[in-house]
Amino acid sequence: MHKLTINLEVNGRKINKEVNSHYRLLDFLREDLDLTGSKEGCGAGECGTCSVFVDGKLVKSCLMPVAKASGKKIETVEHQGTPDNLSTLQKAFFLTGASQCGFCIPGMVMAATSTLRNNPKADIEEIKEEMGGNICRCTGYQKIFDAVELARDVISGKLDPKALEEYSKPEASYLGANVKRIDAPGKVTGRLKYAADMKMPNMLHMQVFRSSRPHAKIKKLDLSKAKAVSGVEAIVTCDDVPGIDNFGVFIEDQPVLAKERVRYVGEAIAAVAADTLEAAKEAVSKIEIEYEDLPALYDPEEALKDEILIHEHYKTNLVKHIPIRKGNVEEGFAKADLIVEEKFATQPVEHAYLEPMAGLSYVDSDGTLVIVSPSQNITHHRHMMSKIMDLPINKVRFIMSPVGGGFGGKEDMIYQGMLALCAMKTRLPVRYVMTREEDITSTAKRHPSRTNYKIGITKDGKITAVQIKMLADGGAYGCSTEGVMRKAAILGAGPYKIDNLQMDTFGVYTNNTPSGAFRSFGALQTEFATESILDICAEKLNMDPFELRRKNMFVAGDLTHTKQELNSASIGTVLNELESLASWEKGTPNSRGASRKDLNGKDNRDSCFLGARLNEKPEASGGVK
Amino acid sequence: MSLTKKRGRGMAASWYGISRTAAMDQAGAWAEIDDGGTAKVVTGVTEIGEGILTVLAQVAAEELGVKPELVHIGDNDTSRSPEAAHAGATRQTYMIGNAVAMACRDSKDKLFNEIAKEWNVEKETLQAHDGEIWANGTNYKMPMSEAIHICKKKYGVIPVGSGNYTSHNTPLDPVDGSGSPWQAYVFGGQVAEVEVDTATGEVQILGIWACHDVGKAINPKGIEGQIEGGVVQAVGQALMEDYQQVEGHTTTGSFAKYILPTSLDVPKVTTKIVEDLDPLSPLGAKGIGEPAMVPTCPAIMNAIYDAVGVRIQSLPATPEKILRALDEKKRKSNGMAIN
Repeated sequence: MHKLTINLEVNGRKINKEVNSHYRLLDFLREDLDLTGSKEGCGAGECGTCSVFVDGKLVKSCLMPVAKASGKKIETVEHQGTPDNLSTLQKAFFLTGASQCGFCIPGMVMAATSTLRNNPKADIEEIKEEMGGNICRCTGYQKIFDAVELARDVISGKLDPKALEEYSKPEASYLGANVKRIDAPGKVTGRLKYAADMKMPNMLHMQVFRSSRPHAKIKKLDLSKAKAVSGVEAIVTCDDVPGIDNFGVFIEDQPVLAKERVRYVGEAIAAVAADTLEAAKEAVSKIEIEYEDLPALYDPEEALKDEILIHEHYKTNLVKHIPIRKGNVEEGFAKADLIVEEKFATQPVEHAYLEPMAGLSYVDSDGTLVIVSPSQNITHHRHMMSKIMDLPINKVRFIMSPVGGGFGGKEDMIYQGMLALCAMKTRLPVRYVMTREEDITSTAKRHPSRTNYKIGITKDGKITAVQIKMLADGGAYGCSTEGVMRKAAILGAGPYKIDNLQMDTFGVYTNNTPSGAFRSFGALQTEFATESILDICAEKLNMDPFELRRKNMFVAGDLTHTKQELNSASIGTVLNELESLASWEKGTPNSRGASRKDLNGKDNRDSCFLGARLNEKPEASGGVK
Repeated sequence: MSLTKKRGRGMAASWYGISRTAAMDQAGAWAEIDDGGTAKVVTGVTEIGEGILTVLAQVAAEELGVKPELVHIGDNDTSRSPEAAHAGATRQTYMIGNAVAMACRDSKDKLFNEIAKEWNVEKETLQAHDGEIWANGTNYKMPMSEAIHICKKKYGVIPVGSGNYTSHNTPLDPVDGSGSPWQAYVFGGQVAEVEVDTATGEVQILGIWACHDVGKAINPKGIEGQIEGGVVQAVGQALMEDYQQVEGHTTTGSFAKYILPTSLDVPKVTTKIVEDLDPLSPLGAKGIGEPAMVPTCPAIMNAIYDAVGVRIQSLPATPEKILRALDEKKRKSNGMAIN
């Protein structure tokens, strides 16, 4: 590996060091100096988790070759404060609850510090603009803005520094109190170690050889050239699995590494463990494969025909159909004054947790296989791993590392099996960190859906019958499709008393990227359809949308769509509170935007005009309000 | 204001089930009142950012009568901590919160047994809060640190408690889907205010008003954070995020191609928490993680319709789709005028 010597100052320390010449500043900080507060969220300068100061200027350290940092002064989040001596901004982040998973937060603290250094009086619009290069997937940014504004006011002397400590201790009960997050100090200072930040002695690095075909038979896999790469300790394939080789959240249909055939682009085929990341990457590039392409399926409607089968032994592409039947829809539609039929669709969505998938595996002195990973379900993972590795449960130990965002995406055990195989084979610790691109292309998405909807309703707004059919693309493996179909079916018709309901959800296999668990788990897709069609009905019935919902909403004692008696139903209270919270002007939803009187209230943000701040806001602040 | 920018509002309601769907759900926990009046809680909890560790520290502090900052929550480790299952299904506050409450009650009961002997009072008169223990109707009072010292050194008892919580969810009938998939349900609703530019098709979400029932709100600020985060994820789904593939090959493999909401895209979110306590569980708390984002997309689509009279039924509502729909609407109304 090429080396070069650099001279620089990091957090006030002078450093003269020989480094890998291909390193980016971020690699040097993380791998050579163990300053892991700077995170790698995307490796392409798009997310800001790696933000540092270079000669006082905010820089994304994943974009700077380490050679260019020579002679410069670098400042990282570790220099901003420690958990027991937080900077003003860090205290503000702590107080407002601005850190959730915490992975973006060191970068946010750096960007916020830069914002207030550049302009200690920055207003909210300038703060938003300055921090526009840092992505947060958890907080919705609101508490982060609150923190920056609070710190600004303390720094400028407008607020007493005591405002940063403010926390009114509850007298009677801690339940209902805004107790400050106990994990925040470690997060706002970048001290909390996520899986990719962890190192062990003699640790190997794993890289994965992935399918470039959507559907193909593996005719030949030649590892000989890869094995010859210096530093390679092990290469594992499906042949190395000692136990029952399958896993999945609901249906265990996925092999740890592709067996005989690949079913989607990005599917893992072989994993290499080597003493350096570079050697592992080189070995992956030398794996040779011959495919025999198979006809592939990309459309769930086509999948339903079962002409091409993704998992032949199931003899069908249907992963799960959930039916719900209540009353008689034909009779219900006959009683309706109005029948509306519409189609709805939703797209596949990436979780985009800021922490890419990462994990560490090693074998303990007593033979226990240990996996450290930011998984959302290590309880289930250990069960699956014990079968895969043919080990009793007590010899499989999962340790949860801090999760840098999950949203359902980290429920699937898609890389832990490979790590375990490498650790068992080498008896050395092995670490794997996905790149952002690898993560996006190989991990599960929110189920894209198509919904056909038919609703019958009387002229005074009472729903008489609902018929819903949703088809979802589950992609190449089952993952959480079954559960997603179930929740979509149970909740889809909404919080309304419907005597006659026919609901069907179908999830199918295709050769697309698998679909899996994602926050709101199917209910988002079907309830979107319901709440859209209700507004269509409200317009046709000349009725306020709140009113239409009130006419049909559940009350305690009602039977749900699955005929469960509700012990409580707060929807009436929720609608009343919402209507007054938003100062809603009653009326028919017939595109009356232009004539509404409830628009432009104080609880809106300014509409955003690119560069408005620089152009004296021609319309931004004055125009609308 | 520009002539092409039109504002409108829409609303949507929602509901959601709490904990694992249509299957028995259970969680376990251990608790111990520890030296110095501190506490140790161990459970298979997964902090994914929602603030569950803080919620559990509050629950333990309340139940044990210690300060929340003196509660230590052990790491989730399948070989070292009781099973509490997954971080998902909006279940952690409900399942693990109640399991921790039960474990703490067990631990406190063991401490109270010994302190009742020490003071020669009925156990039922004892109370503890915020680091102090006292007997109602007497002058007896001491710090928890002293109480735990007496419990251990004089009576030889370490007050270790364990707890479990079960949600008795039943499977659905395979033919008609009947069943009781959850014990607890939450309801919500949101209003969206949008500005649609009819020249560019661009939509800006200016305000979201979110009202959600969460049961007992243990940490209101944390709940607000969940709602704000959920709303913004849904803004992504509503307007911009779109994972695309061509014959199985991803064409949106980076954040340059896969567009996420940034600080410039997000609405102001105004939250109102409704507390309809769960009648079946010790804490009365339910949950908010997933339900927070359910009503957002339809509220936005209804608001776009209110603003410009086009209804987007296929997400996301990209500028291209809005322009196409506006075009079609214009053609239709022109056609009608001619006829």
